[in-house]
Amino acid sequence: MNIFFILLKKEMKELVTRQLLFTIAVTLLVFHVIGKSVGSHNKSSAARNTIVLLDLDRSELSKRVIAAVTAGKTTLKPAGEATIAAALAAPENAGENSFMVIPAGLEAEVTAGRASSIEYYSRFRKQASGLGPAIAASRIRRTEQAATAEISAYLLGRGLPSLAPAFLRDPAPAKEFAVIDGRTAQVSLSQVIGFIQSQSFFFPVAVFFIVILSAQMIMTAVASEKENKTLETLLSSPLDRRLLVMSKLAASCLIATALSGAYMLGMRSFMAGVTGLGADPSVAVAAAGPALAALGLTMTSSGYFLIGLSVLFCILCALSIAFILGILSEDVKSIQTMMTPLMMPLMLAYLLPIFIDMSTAHAGLKFLLYAIPFTHAFMAPQNVMMGNISQVWWGIAYQAAVFAAFVTLAARLFSGDALLTLRLKWPGMK
Amino acid sequence: MAIALEIKDLVKKYKDFEAVAGLSFSVGEGEIFALVGPNGVGKSTTLKMTATILTPTAGSISVFGRDTTRDAHAVREMISYLPEEAGAYKNLTGREYLDFMAMVFLKDRARAAAAVAEGERLSGLGARLGEKIKTYSKGMARKLLLARAVMIKPRLAILDEPTSGLDIVNAYEIRKTIKQLAAGGMTFLISSHNMAEIEFLSGRIAVINKGKLLACDTPAALKAKFATADLEEVFIKLTQ
Repeated sequence: MNIFFILLKKEMKELVTRQLLFTIAVTLLVFHVIGKSVGSHNKSSAARNTIVLLDLDRSELSKRVIAAVTAGKTTLKPAGEATIAAALAAPENAGENSFMVIPAGLEAEVTAGRASSIEYYSRFRKQASGLGPAIAASRIRRTEQAATAEISAYLLGRGLPSLAPAFLRDPAPAKEFAVIDGRTAQVSLSQVIGFIQSQSFFFPVAVFFIVILSAQMIMTAVASEKENKTLETLLSSPLDRRLLVMSKLAASCLIATALSGAYMLGMRSFMAGVTGLGADPSVAVAAAGPALAALGLTMTSSGYFLIGLSVLFCILCALSIAFILGILSEDVKSIQTMMTPLMMPLMLAYLLPIFIDMSTAHAGLKFLLYAIPFTHAFMAPQNVMMGNISQVWWGIAYQAAVFAAFVTLAARLFSGDALLTLRLKWPGMK
Repeated sequence: MAIALEIKDLVKKYKDFEAVAGLSFSVGEGEIFALVGPNGVGKSTTLKMTATILTPTAGSISVFGRDTTRDAHAVREMISYLPEEAGAYKNLTGREYLDFMAMVFLKDRARAAAAVAEGERLSGLGARLGEKIKTYSKGMARKLLLARAVMIKPRLAILDEPTSGLDIVNAYEIRKTIKQLAAGGMTFLISSHNMAEIEFLSGRIAVINKGKLLACDTPAALKAKFATADLEEVFIKLTQ
């Protein structure tokens, strides 16, 4: 046999272990769970393809507009109220996020060659996440296009060629409004969604990076001390063993914070380049006009503090879990595989909220996600922006409890024989 | 001679496997006492239990009258442990390593500085102490680790295979250092496979097999008992 293939065979035997196969199987399982959850969630989201309609014109034109919109598979639900404020507040519309207002006199105005406008209101829920708002926005955009086309067709059908071509192309320009926590502002939907997503996309990536980095550091630190037997020397010293645990956690936390700071600066520049909104979110708000600020989509210093606290406890939770995994590691080589029990919940907590709207998700799925301490940090910026402050505090309290539990377990393992004798056995390991 | 170490009916079990099965012996202050036996018979486990990093399943170990389980912290103040094939922090220089370890064990700047000066002398590494440990040969690293173990002047030094893997010169220097320190009153509990080393160093030896004590006496007495001039022969007769 060719010497290359002999070497290749040896390398493959070294690399393809039962632990590696187990890790691959778990990764596949995680992606399968995410795919299934997102799929069933999207199906139920698509089923809610409803826009609440206030037809204040009740003319032939408004009927034609309604017919054109419903032809596009969008269900229009009559509001039954006289004003948009009443429609938004009505209990029967509590679950609705999209509203359309055809103003009184639409037909008369456009027929006379004067521009009118149809208003579209999008309600952003406090706990909304995932692709839900973007899907709702695309539904509004489709509706706007259908309404504009129908009004143009109506005017052309009435034989009003004397009107200016620009007016005929868009005789009733859409006015978009965003509603967040009872506050309403006229603002482009894409600007609101762009801003929210820039925060909820960029931030979790950074947190994910920090957690992986710090977890790997502490696992390597513990496993290499075990492998080199420097740990045995420290354990036989008169040092308080809790100090050994805390010093390792603190060192990893400090290095992870420094590295993540550098990473976040890089990501900010990257996002500024990609979105064109500018690196500073406050600049983005300024660019979008005072509307985003009026909706409360700004971050105060206390908001930043809360997010920072949530991220800190997220890192501490990851470090305490990684510390235990490091204790269970045979050696430094096995760390990659030993990361699996940490990677599974981390990937779920990172990926699922990107695709799933937590406000409408299945209770079981919500329970699973909120039981993972990392989810609270991933969701913190959005919750702070949406004014869900109590949820952020509850999340931090839960993270602190998880951290305390795992640190206590780590300290117990560090104080007993387990540190030198306990090993995590993978399927098929001797 | 005061009792430095007393081990009584010591048992250590790992699930169904009994690594140490009722071991008893005592070591006098200033004595060099050696545990000898084939691989995997419980020598290192006994040393680890004496160093307080493993807990006995049954029996007791007391160091200068302090129990290693109930009074582990007090025991740790009196001992120093050198594991077999131990490593050091590779990115530290030899001097930084000695500094760090002196502070960990002594927690007092002045005492630590004196210990480091002693460690530098004992290691014999001279200017190389300013270089990172990752540049050291195995012999240099072992000399540094032995210096670390004894520079704090522990009342009981526990050394697992102190000269394992070293060349003749380095092994000889380490043995000489141990002898000198014992003459100064330091007690040593060591384990080794090297019978010549054991005979050179030890006042008494304990031969153990399958976690049990087979014999415990001076090398001369054991050789006389088994009518041989060779300690290796004694060992083979006892363990086979």
